[in-house]
Amino acid sequence: MSTILIIDDDARFRTQARDLLEADGFVVIGQAVDGATGLEAAQSLRPDFVLLDIGLPDVEGFEVARVLALHRPPPLVVLTSSRDARAYGRRLTSGEHLGFIPKERISGAAIRALVDQG
Amino acid sequence: MVSTLSTPRTTMTLNRVRALLLVTAGALGLGMLGGTAQLGPLTLESVLEVLVGWSFVACGTFIWARRPANRLGPLMTTVGMLWLLGRTLTLVPNPVVYTAGLWLTDLWAPAFALFLLSFPTGRLTSRADRAIVGIFLFVTVPLEFLWFVFLVLDNGLNALGIAPNESAAHVIDTLQRDLISLGSVLLVVSLSRRWLRSSGPVRRQMAPVLVGAVAILLQSVSWIFFSSGASHEALDDLIFVAQIAVPIAVLSVMIRGRMARGAVADLVLELGRTPTPARLRDALANALGDPTLQVVYWAPARDRWVDAAGEPMEMPDVGTGQAVTMLERSGVREAAIIHDAILLEEPGLVASVAAAMRLAVENDRLTAEVEAQLHEVRASRARIVEAGDRERRRVERDLHDGAQQRLVSLSLELQVARRALGDDGDPAVRRSLDRAAEEALAALAELRDLALGIYPLILTESGLGEAVESLADRTSVDVSVDIGSERYSPVVEGAAYFVISEALTNVTKYARATKALVRVRGLDDHLSIEVDDDGIGGADPRSGSGLRGLADRLAALDGTITIVSPIGGGTRISAQIPVNQPMPTPV
Repeated sequence: MSTILIIDDDARFRTQARDLLEADGFVVIGQAVDGATGLEAAQSLRPDFVLLDIGLPDVEGFEVARVLALHRPPPLVVLTSSRDARAYGRRLTSGEHLGFIPKERISGAAIRALVDQG
Repeated sequence: MVSTLSTPRTTMTLNRVRALLLVTAGALGLGMLGGTAQLGPLTLESVLEVLVGWSFVACGTFIWARRPANRLGPLMTTVGMLWLLGRTLTLVPNPVVYTAGLWLTDLWAPAFALFLLSFPTGRLTSRADRAIVGIFLFVTVPLEFLWFVFLVLDNGLNALGIAPNESAAHVIDTLQRDLISLGSVLLVVSLSRRWLRSSGPVRRQMAPVLVGAVAILLQSVSWIFFSSGASHEALDDLIFVAQIAVPIAVLSVMIRGRMARGAVADLVLELGRTPTPARLRDALANALGDPTLQVVYWAPARDRWVDAAGEPMEMPDVGTGQAVTMLERSGVREAAIIHDAILLEEPGLVASVAAAMRLAVENDRLTAEVEAQLHEVRASRARIVEAGDRERRRVERDLHDGAQQRLVSLSLELQVARRALGDDGDPAVRRSLDRAAEEALAALAELRDLALGIYPLILTESGLGEAVESLADRTSVDVSVDIGSERYSPVVEGAAYFVISEALTNVTKYARATKALVRVRGLDDHLSIEVDDDGIGGADPRSGSGLRGLADRLAALDGTITIVSPIGGGTRISAQIPVNQPMPTPV
């Protein structure tokens, strides 16, 4: 059973993502509304995964991902956005995160597919 | 209207008067020569004597015609006429005519003194000078009359000899000679003082007066050393030569004035090249022949005169020998020339120099104004492009924040519902939910394409390089990209991006190319963009393609776009965009 932390300012998305991921066997152990509280939650909850929105109100998701990579052990970070990958270019392919899934494609299967790609 | 009609008439009348005077002077001179010839062989002295009169009348009428406003011309003509008339009349053996001739001959002296002292304006300026002319008049009018009353002439032609008394006449004659000598010395002193006080251009102008002063000095020597009746031929010849030279010297000064106006023509050319302030000053100094000349500018903000370097300048006081010529535009002072006061006696010259400079100043002002307007137009065009880009970014953000988010949410909700239903529910409902989810995803994809076309977020966030890489990635043909990671102003990046985007659209839609190359180079002051493909060529930028709109967008940024597309030879689209766009002024 993998644990996951959802960081997104959109409450509706958090609920939908939680429903979908829990249906796929993930344990959603926490939710945060911005980068700062998200980092605190990750520190204390030590999730296996973090589902991280790029467009957070306080700081860019890329920045949060960079800090999360320094955690020990570092969580596997899945970036997400309601924009698609074309809006971010190389920033999605470089960096310490596991991968990117556009919001409408979020599912346990999609995350496991990223892990398998590795 | 009256003045415009009367001026030519006056000029015509004056021309007739001057012609008449010239003819009369010629006739009088010939009469003198003829009369002298009857008495004996013509001497050099008698020829020189006529030439003195002719010289004054000829030069005088010429200057009179050229400078009608200057009294000098009429004055010189008068001096010459008195000289010729007096001497001609003494050839007539009639007491009244002879006496009048003698008197007029002597009246020449105050006229000559007035001419010398009033040079070059024809007006006396100081009391001392008036007093000197007064001495000459006193000698030649009341004393002359008394002298005639007592004078005994051998030929008996004294019409005024009412009380012949040789000793009384001699006393008066001696007094006259002493006073004339005194007047001459004072005159020479006055001229010398003026000469010593003045600077370069004035001294050059005073050349004729100095010749005149020499003539007067020689005359005084003649009077002092040779008693009444006696004369020394060589000295007289010398005096005549000096007197002939005086009007000619005056004329040469006037011609130099005309040459100075030629220098004004050079000045206009020089000023046409928009000179530096230092060269402007030198050009003016040269044209006016005044090395001390200064150019000052009015600084309205400081309410004072400053030089070209902005240092405060004081205007010269009256009586310092300097004068100021103002340059005004619509009654507002702009600049001034500080120059030698003597140049005021050449008002035409200073005026034309001032006019030339006014042209230069006006030219500079207009150039600055046009440049400012051009700058403003450029800035405003750039602002329009920038405003358009800003609007595109806003629409993209609104789409993202609104419809896109809702479609994402809808899509997720349908998936949640589909999971909730599981594999057990009504198959028709399951199929319907699956179709709805697919539709939502398709709508979302279309919306994202639309948003990307409006303004790609990646361009704002990551710059031209990544935006173009991303563009190339989603182009169906193979695109190599050669581009750096430098950032430019949004308006430049936007223009460059849309050029490349449109070019790649053409590559995929029309060119039937297998590969394309995008090369972006940041040069000194502009961004150079090239998009090449190996397609069929024959692209026509006028045939309603999006390239036309791009040309307008680039023109607004002073950029250019060229398309080379030979049939069968691929297409090359090149664009140049200046990177230093005018600073957008906040509205």
